[in-house]
Amino acid sequence: MSALRTAARYARLSWFLGGVGLHRLVTYRLDFLLGAGAFLVRVGVQTAVVGLVFRQVPAVGGWSYHEVVFLLGFSLLPRGLDHLFTDQLWELGRKLVQRGEFYRHLVRPVSPLFSLLSERFFHPDGFGELIVGGVLVGWSGSRLGLDPTATQWALAPLLVVCGALIHTAVKLLFSSLSFWTVTSLPAMYAANQVSEFAAYPLDIYHPTLRSLLTWVLPFAFTSYAPCAYLLTGDADLLVWLPAVTAGALALALAVWRRGLSTHETTGS
Amino acid sequence: MIVAHELVKEFRIPERRPGLAGSLATLFTRRYRVTRAVDRVSFEIPAGSRTAYIGANGAGKSTTIKMLTGIMTPTSGYCRVRGIEPYRHRQRNARSIGVVFGQRSQLWWDLSVPDSFRILRRIYDIPDHVYRRNLARYRELLDIDALGTTPVRQLSLGQRMRAEIAASLLHDPAVVFWDEPTIGLDMVLKEAVRELVNRAHRELGTTVVLTSHDIADIAAICDSALVVDRGRVVHQGSIQDLLRSADRRSVLFDHRDRLAADAVCATVERGLPGVRAVPADGGRVHVDYPAAEFTSRQVLAFLLDHFDLADCYAPEPDLEDVLRQIYGRQRPAAPSGVSAV
Amino acid sequence: MRAYVPFATGGLQSLLQYRSMFVVTGVTAAAGAAVTVFLWRAVYADAPASGGPGGFTLAGITTYLLLAQILQVLHTNRVDDEVAAEVYRGDVAVMLVRPVSYPLVRFFACLPVVAANAVLVGVPVLLLFAFLVPLAVPRPGDAALFAVSAVLSVLIAFCVNLLTGMAGFLTTNTWGVRMVKQSVVAFFAGQLVPIALMPGPLAALARALPFRGMADGPLTLLLGRYDGAAGAFGVLAQQAGWAAGLAAVCAVLWRRALGRLEVLGG
Repeated sequence: MSALRTAARYARLSWFLGGVGLHRLVTYRLDFLLGAGAFLVRVGVQTAVVGLVFRQVPAVGGWSYHEVVFLLGFSLLPRGLDHLFTDQLWELGRKLVQRGEFYRHLVRPVSPLFSLLSERFFHPDGFGELIVGGVLVGWSGSRLGLDPTATQWALAPLLVVCGALIHTAVKLLFSSLSFWTVTSLPAMYAANQVSEFAAYPLDIYHPTLRSLLTWVLPFAFTSYAPCAYLLTGDADLLVWLPAVTAGALALALAVWRRGLSTHETTGS
Repeated sequence: MIVAHELVKEFRIPERRPGLAGSLATLFTRRYRVTRAVDRVSFEIPAGSRTAYIGANGAGKSTTIKMLTGIMTPTSGYCRVRGIEPYRHRQRNARSIGVVFGQRSQLWWDLSVPDSFRILRRIYDIPDHVYRRNLARYRELLDIDALGTTPVRQLSLGQRMRAEIAASLLHDPAVVFWDEPTIGLDMVLKEAVRELVNRAHRELGTTVVLTSHDIADIAAICDSALVVDRGRVVHQGSIQDLLRSADRRSVLFDHRDRLAADAVCATVERGLPGVRAVPADGGRVHVDYPAAEFTSRQVLAFLLDHFDLADCYAPEPDLEDVLRQIYGRQRPAAPSGVSAV
Repeated sequence: MRAYVPFATGGLQSLLQYRSMFVVTGVTAAAGAAVTVFLWRAVYADAPASGGPGGFTLAGITTYLLLAQILQVLHTNRVDDEVAAEVYRGDVAVMLVRPVSYPLVRFFACLPVVAANAVLVGVPVLLLFAFLVPLAVPRPGDAALFAVSAVLSVLIAFCVNLLTGMAGFLTTNTWGVRMVKQSVVAFFAGQLVPIALMPGPLAALARALPFRGMADGPLTLLLGRYDGAAGAFGVLAQQAGWAAGLAAVCAVLWRRALGRLEVLGG
């Protein structure tokens, strides 16, 4: 009963703070446009690179041009969704512990993780990714003449959510390192850089790198595995998705909790 | 109300070696040293008091406040706020306390102050009438409307401090902890803060715990003082009592005698051995005497006997002097190895 | 000049406090290189020994992409984010009261960062890839030309980053601006796609922009893909010209920005 009430309270707070986030987008219109626009440029560049690659060859690692674009677009969806809600983790990794500003999340009557994340819902950059990703997936899907089954349609949103949770877990884990190292921005940055691999077919990479992306930093599950399923119906890798998502989240939350208690011991 | 028992907080600090060579060395090895910021501190602060937490080495003012607010866990010992250990029940504690850390903002950096308040209202579930009453009060006393829709990051330090103080009281907390809160506040605003605290105190019995380097802040906001030196409470009581414990007192006087200032001083020092007399501004004379050897009555009687007094007054002892004197008395000649952070 | 030496050593000192930074910059660089290297190796997998598209051999394209990434490490001098942050926080005002030029301070503070990145990140990443994939070995003369060209590329990168950081005067979302800069620079520098492999008009545009001097220019020299001494000189002259031009733009815009700062009162 009380758990239910707590959940309802957090839901109400999220709703309200989401409103604040949207309101902020209107206030900082230039920021919003810049943030969303930045991703347009970035993804535009990525698409251009893929286009230039396929000027030379008809297929890369067994993937056609439109399939790679589909993969590229799909990889942006979980990333964008995660981006909308958890971007404050970058602040944690960057400076909150270093500058002793994390304390404010400890003196509020809500969970520190919620307090931290809710400080900024609806980060503008996330919209850019979602929109561009949606457009790329739609365009390449229609070019490929993709005709998903009912199951595929039903699973697609779940795949995006699970992918977003994997992104969140990795980000949470690396940002929590800042409780020990004061700033973990470089580590977060590196993890983020590794996630870029997910935008291309895993088949082109060195086998070591492939298993790293599948089982260590499981970004393969944010795009490669779902796309293989959506494009060809191949679900060999996908069956692991729920377990990987749960495992990654559990690990990240454990590290976060340990970090929090370390922070209470050492202060800033 | 607020209890600390044998509270200890130690930190492990990596040693930085000076210079470029030192930095290169720390790249490969790292040494730590342990410092004790809070050294077996015990005290009790009664409900409804407005207490200045004053301390020198080993009192670790900010660290103590961090433990009382639940941000930090003690190395040993414990503290309780309204019966609960803050670091064990952080969220429960958070509802009943308000916090200001002067150097660090707890407001939403790129939102305006009213927006920040609206969020706090939701987070703390502040009832409508409380929220409206407090906002009206901030309007009246802190001129909070003048902050308008400027994002917090663009406010001046004084403006931001006003907002921080208001934010810490917004949910009618039972206890407020203010760590160096009045940096950047001018005298008028200090008065306003004093009035704000008074009203909260009168209507809700709010307890205030304050640390400050500025003696004027302490005098303006607090009625009692808790002086901790090397872990022990060396004074707890009203600020008046603290001042009364001063071991030197002063009298200033004006006179109508046609005497050189030096001669007047010499007369006083000759007549009252152990007393210092120096010429002060405007032809007045400043007499400084040990409270243990003379009563004010004796000193005044002597002055009345020897001079044609035109005016005379005895200023309050200086709080800073009193504190210096307390620490000086407590401390043995050789400093102990423990250093403060 | 002497006044700026402390800023250089200070920059290095503050950098060394975060020793993990180098490991992570290395991981980032290696990951970035791996994406482009593997992508293009898939394209050149069946290329003839005489050279595939654009005249690159498999070893040649690998070397090109790897060193482009390493050059990018040398260009990550943290000037863009630090300037943006200082502008955003208003700390720039504090710098103005010192009797030194802020852009020059930034320049000297970033030099040791560049040097440390070269030694602690660039060399290990190069060795890692040399171990994994075959690379082309340059002629000594080309290597020397590359060294000169790399120095010029660092100058260009400093100016580009300073200009990016100054965007902090205009917007609070400097993250977005930096992201745009990074993408645009990486693309037009030829770091992701060698300019020789771009279609005609795009290649012409890329050759005209200053970013070319940050990767494609130096690598053209390294791989000996130039037309005699005149060709090599042309590449260096274009780089030097852009370095000077961008420095002038920085100086003018910085002065303008300061004027604005004084009017607004920080």
